Order: sequence, then structure tokens, then C-alpha cells
Amino acid sequence: MKRLIFGIILILIPFIVTYLNPISAPSSIHSLGEFYLKDSLTSVRSPEVVTSILWDYRGLDTIFETAVFFLAIMGGLAIFRELKLKYPSWEEFPLPVKVVTKVTAVLIVTVAASLALHGQLTPGGGFQGGSTLAVAPLLVIGAVSLASLRKIGITLERAVLVRILGLTGIVILALIPLTFGGYAVQNQPYFPSEFLGTLLGGSLLWYNIFEFLAVGAGFTAVFLILAVAGGGRND
Amino acid sequence: MILLYIGAALMIIGALCDLLAGIGMLRFKNFYLRLHAATVGTVGGAVVPLIGVALAALDMPSLPGRFAIAGASFITALIILLVAPAGSTALAYAAHRSGVEGNFHFDHLRGEEK
Repeated sequence: MKRLIFGIILILIPFIVTYLNPISAPSSIHSLGEFYLKDSLTSVRSPEVVTSILWDYRGLDTIFETAVFFLAIMGGLAIFRELKLKYPSWEEFPLPVKVVTKVTAVLIVTVAASLALHGQLTPGGGFQGGSTLAVAPLLVIGAVSLASLRKIGITLERAVLVRILGLTGIVILALIPLTFGGYAVQNQPYFPSEFLGTLLGGSLLWYNIFEFLAVGAGFTAVFLILAVAGGGRND
Repeated sequence: MILLYIGAALMIIGALCDLLAGIGMLRFKNFYLRLHAATVGTVGGAVVPLIGVALAALDMPSLPGRFAIAGASFITALIILLVAPAGSTALAYAAHRSGVEGNFHFDHLRGEEK
């Protein structure tokens, strides 16, 4: 009976809240928001306003954020520096599970790449793509083994290397306009804005690619460490 | 017009499957039986209505981007169809390994009569 009353209350709450506070479109947009919405396509050359804000209007902020994330992961890896990764092979799941996991991992990598490379046109971007990418090795660790990850060439050293390459790329991209007399992290007119009729958003595409690599490799490194630090699976 | 009706019928079947899966989740006795209900919920309650959505979208000429909706629904349905059995196999295997009891007549993984 208690459950039934609780359930009825839970169902009624949304209706009551909507009745008391009817949602209506705001009568005016904040002037800064209006500026972003109107200016993004013409000055950044990207229809995706969120990515424009992240990598252009407040690009320095995002680079700082990426650096903080980089340091956090480096700190985590430093704590476990004594740990020797042995890439053990443990008792595996039945064959259908392994096969489906491998197929799914390939699909995840594809979706991650499309999220990152389309970041200047559709919702998504480097961080989202990178986080999605890191799910693939996590899935393989869980359903197959660490040994199979090493067999396809994913090791801790390589993950850290790709991560450093990604961050270096971002820093170099940020400095390129300086050498042409612009400002650091400036986008237009120093980067190509269009290719074969597709908007590239200038530097947004390149930032997204490097962020994709950095975040994906960073999470992969953390997952590799945690899979071993947690004791692996005891079989 | 016929595709729209087929799609709507599939969506209703999906809703019924979800309802049955929910009841099964609550009422079944042990883990392995509940796993059965969960798979009814994913295959019957997600794959079937997604195919219904795709068919219905194809039959609505005024809907903007209907081919994108139909394609995305078909592909999502295909991926769920692929992943759901693997997931439940993994769950059942892991549960069996960690000694979750079920009242089996025959235990294929151990290969013995109970």
C-alpha cells in the first residue's frame, strides 16, 4: 500500500510541477548568447556554437582545462609508477561474448572518431570522442584480457606517448598564429575554414583531433593501470 | 500507409514485451530466470519497437530527415540484437562461475546431473 501511494505521488509530481510553473520560451536572449549564436558561423566558420565557444571564444580556458586533466592523469600514473604491468591472460568468457566484444570495440572506435571529426558540425568534439574511444579498450579488458590488448599493440607506454603527442599538438596549434603575428589560440584567418564545401571551423577540427587522441589515450592508460592495480581477475 | 500500421503494431508489441519483462523481473524466483525476463526486455522491448520506428518513419513523407531516422533506428536495432545475447551470456557465465544457485535439471557448464 505504501509503495502504491509513493508510486502515485511520484507520477503526479511532474504534472503538478508543470501546472504550477508552466514552461514558456524566454522572451529575450541574453545579449552575449545572441552574439555567440549570430557570430559563430561568420567569424569562427562553424555552425556548432558550443565547440566554437570551447575552442575559439574561450580557447585558452579549454587548453588550461586540458592541461589540468593531463596533470591529473600524470599524477595518477606517478602514484602507480612502481607497478609493473604484466598484461596477464585470464580465464576468458565463452566465444560468442569475445567475438561480439571485438566487433563492438571496432564499432565504438568508429563512433568515437566520427564524434571527434564532426565536432565542428554536429554535437560532439574531442573530449566526447576521446571518452568514447577509451570505452573500447575497457570493454576488451573486461570481456577478453589484457594480453589480447597488448597483442593488438595497445600498451601503457604507447598510451602515455600518444597522450603527450596530443597535448604537444594542442600547444603547437595554439602557438601557430603567434608566428604569423596574431594572438595565441586565435583561429581565423590563420586556419583553412573550408575543404571541398565542408566547413572545417578553422582550428576547431585540429584541436578536436588532438584532444581526441589525448583524452582517449589518457583514459586508456588509467584503465590499464586500474585493471592491474585492482588485482586483475583472480582465477 | 501499410508500413505505418506495421510499425505501430511493432511498437505496441515492444511496449507489451517491456511490460512483461518488468513483471518477470519482479516475480521470477532466481537470477537465471530473471535474466530471461531481461532479454525479453532488450530484444522484444528495444529491437522490435526500433524496427517499428524505422518502418513508420519511412512511411511519413512529410517528416524531415526520415531516411536518417530510419537508418539510425535500423542500425541501433541491429547492434542491440548483436550485443544483448552476448551480454546475457556473459552475465549468466559470470553468475555461474561465482556460484549463484539456480534449480537446474542439467548443468551444461559443469556437465553433471543435479
